[in-house]
Amino acid sequence: MKQAFKEFSPFQVNPDKVWADYNINASDFEPATESEKESMVEIRKSVSYWRDAARRFKNNTVSMVALGIFIVVLLFAFLGPSLIPYDYANQYRSSQKLGPFEYSDQEAKIKSIEDQVDCMFATALQPGSSTGLDPGDYYFKFKGNTYCFNLDKKLSDSVIILKDGELSTVREVHIMNGEIKRSTPLAFTSEVAEGAKELTIAKKVFPHMVGTDSQGRDLLARTMYGARVSIIIGIVAALIVLVIGSIYGAISGLCGGVVDFVMMRIVELIYSVPEILLVLLLQVVLKDPLQKWFDASNSWFANALSTLGAGIVSIFITFALLYWVTMSRIVRGQVLMLKKQEYVTAATALGASNGRIIRRHLLPNCVGQLVITTCLQIPSAIFLESFLSFLGLGVSAPMASLGSLCSDALGTITIFPYRLLFPGAVLTIIVLTLNLVGDGLRDALDPRLKK
Amino acid sequence: MLIYIAKRLAAAVATLLLIMTITFFLMNTIPGSPFLTEKSTPQQIELANQKYGLDKPLVVQLKNYLVNYCKGDLGVSLKMQEGTPVKDILFRQGKFGLSMRLGLLAVLVAVVLGIPLGCLAAYKRGTWVDGLLRVLTTVGVAIPTFVLAATLLIYLGVKAQLLPVLSGSLTNWKAYIMPVISLSFYDVCYIAKLTRTSMLDAINQDYIRTARAKGVKNKWIVLKHALRNSLIPVVTFLGPLIAFIITGSFVVETTFSIPGLGKYFVESVINRDYTVIMATTFVVSILVIAMNLVVDIVYKVIDPRITLSSTDE
Repeated sequence: MKQAFKEFSPFQVNPDKVWADYNINASDFEPATESEKESMVEIRKSVSYWRDAARRFKNNTVSMVALGIFIVVLLFAFLGPSLIPYDYANQYRSSQKLGPFEYSDQEAKIKSIEDQVDCMFATALQPGSSTGLDPGDYYFKFKGNTYCFNLDKKLSDSVIILKDGELSTVREVHIMNGEIKRSTPLAFTSEVAEGAKELTIAKKVFPHMVGTDSQGRDLLARTMYGARVSIIIGIVAALIVLVIGSIYGAISGLCGGVVDFVMMRIVELIYSVPEILLVLLLQVVLKDPLQKWFDASNSWFANALSTLGAGIVSIFITFALLYWVTMSRIVRGQVLMLKKQEYVTAATALGASNGRIIRRHLLPNCVGQLVITTCLQIPSAIFLESFLSFLGLGVSAPMASLGSLCSDALGTITIFPYRLLFPGAVLTIIVLTLNLVGDGLRDALDPRLKK
Repeated sequence: MLIYIAKRLAAAVATLLLIMTITFFLMNTIPGSPFLTEKSTPQQIELANQKYGLDKPLVVQLKNYLVNYCKGDLGVSLKMQEGTPVKDILFRQGKFGLSMRLGLLAVLVAVVLGIPLGCLAAYKRGTWVDGLLRVLTTVGVAIPTFVLAATLLIYLGVKAQLLPVLSGSLTNWKAYIMPVISLSFYDVCYIAKLTRTSMLDAINQDYIRTARAKGVKNKWIVLKHALRNSLIPVVTFLGPLIAFIITGSFVVETTFSIPGLGKYFVESVINRDYTVIMATTFVVSILVIAMNLVVDIVYKVIDPRITLSSTDE
C-alpha cells in the first residue's frame, strides 16, 4: 500500500488513469473482522497512581533494603521480647554489671549442669530479691504435665530439676564443679494444691547477649523494649502532627483571605519560637499535673494514658502544640496549588459542592505529600524523644526508650561503653532506615521532585 | 528594604514578648517553689517570696521582669547560686561565652566543610567520590548527637587517650575537638547534601549552558556561576541550624561536662530557679531571633529575585 502511494503522490494524480492503475483494491477497504480488530488494539491495563508508585518504589534498591532492615528492627522490637526469657523491668540481683555473654557465679554454676537435665527452676534465675524459695506449695508445667510439690523448709541457692524426660523426678540439688551433688527427691502430685505459686522453669541459662545494667536488668530485653517505645512514640507523634497540621493547613488554604492571613501569622509566630527551650520547660511543667490527673481520674482514657506514663504523654502534647507547623504549611501550599487547577474549576462549574471537591479532588491529590511528610516526621520525632530522654526529661525508669538507655549508660561510659553503643546503634539504624524509606516514598509518590 | 527590616524587627519583638510570656506562665505552673527544701518552714518560704517579689500577682511579676530586662538587669539567681546576679553567672563566669564559642565554631565548621563537600560531590557526580560522600552524609544525618559524642568519647578519649575526656571550660585547644565535631557533624552532612542537590539543580539551568557555550572552564562554572545560585537553600537552612546548634549544645555539654549555657538551662528548669530560666530564655531567644533576621536579610542580598514583602511560598 505504502509503495503505491510513494510512486504517485496525490499532487501528481493522473486523471487519465483508472483506479485500478493505482493498485488500490476494493478489498482493502472492507470492514475489519473481529480478529483483525483485536490484533490492532493495544491492550494495556490502566495503571493506578498507587500501583505505579509501588512499582517505582520496588525498583528503588536502596529503599527496599532499608525497608527490609526496618522490618527486621520491628520484629526485634515487637517479637523479640517473647523470644528471650528476660523482661525489661526485672532485676536479677546476682547478675549485675555483666558484660556481653558473661554469666554471674550462680548462673555459671547452673549452666555447668544444664546438659544433664531436661529443665529446671533455679532460684538465681528468678527476678527481684528472691534468692530462695520460702516454704509453701509450688507448681510448674512441663510438656503438658503439671507438677506440684511442697517445700517444708526454705530453699536457698539451689535448683529444682526435672530429669530424664517423662520420668518425673523433682529434685533439690547442690552443684559442685559441674556435677550434681546431694540431690534430694521431692514428693510431687499432678494436682495443684490451693494457693500454690507457679514457677517459671527454664531449659537453659539464657545468655545476657549485651550484658546487664547496674540493677541487674538484661540490656537486650531493655533495648528491645526501648526500641518499641521509641518507634511507637515516633509513629503516634507523626500521626498527631499529621492530623493537626493537615486540618489547620487545609482550613487555612481553603478559606483564604483574612482567615488564611491570621492563621499563617500564628504559624509564623510558632515557627520563630526557639522551641527547644519551651519543649524542655513543657516536659517539666506537664509531668506533675498529668501524673495527678492519672491518679485521680478513673476514665478509660486516663487509664490508657497512664500506662504510657506522664513522660511520653507530655512528649505527645509537645508535638501537638509546637511541631505541626511545617505540616500545615505543606498542606496549605498543596491546597492553594490544587485549588487553581483546571479540573477543580471544572468541578465547580459543574456545580460540585465544596465537600465533593475536597473528597474527590483535593484529598486524593494531597495524599502523596501527606504520606511522605508523615514518614519523614517519624524519625525526627524519635530524634526529639531520644534527645529529651537523654537529658533525663522523657520516659522514666523502669520504662525505657532508646534515649533513656543511652542516658543511663552515660555515667559508666568509660567502663561499659557497649551499654551506650548498642541502643545507640539501634537508634541510628531506625532513623537511617526510616529516612531512606521516606526518601524512596518521595521519589515513588512524587516523581516530579526526583532530581 | 528599611521598611522590611523595621517590620521584621517589630515582629521579632512581638515574638520575644510572646516567648517570655509563655515561659513565665509555664514556669509558674510547675508545682512547688524554688525555696522549698526539706528543712524550709512555711515562714521561711514566705520571707523568701517577699524578698524576691514572688508574692506579687503574676502579671506584676511578669511586668517587672520585662521592665528590668529593658534596663539590662537580668535579676539575681534564686536558688542555684543564691543572690548572685544572673548577668554575672551567664557572662562573667563564662557560660555564655563558652556556649557561643562552641556554637560559632560548630557553625563555622559546618559551613566551611559542608559547602565544599557538597560542591565536590556535585562536581564528581556519579564517581566513587560522590558515592562515598552520599553514604557518609546519609548515615551522618541519622546518628543522634549524643551517640556520636559518646562514641568519640569512648574511642578517642578513653581507648586511644588522644583527647581529654572531660572538656571542662575548654581551656585547651584539644578540648574543643570532640565537642565541635559532635556538634557540627549533623550539619556538615546536611549542608553537604543540600549543596549537592541544589548545585545539580543549578547546573541544569540555561545560564550554565550559556557559560559552557562561551567556553568557560568547568571548574569556573561550578565555582562562579553555579555556587552562588545553589547557596540559597543553604542560607535558608542556616536559620534552623542555629537552633540545631543550641539543641545539640544541651546534649554535647552534658556529655562532655562543659559548664555552658545549655547545661545550665536544663539545670535551672529542673531546679526551678525562676530568674535563671527567664534570663536564659531571654538571651537564647534574642540570639535565635536575631540570627533568623540576619539570615532573611542575607537571603535577599544573595538572591535579588526574592521579594521581601511576600511571606507566602
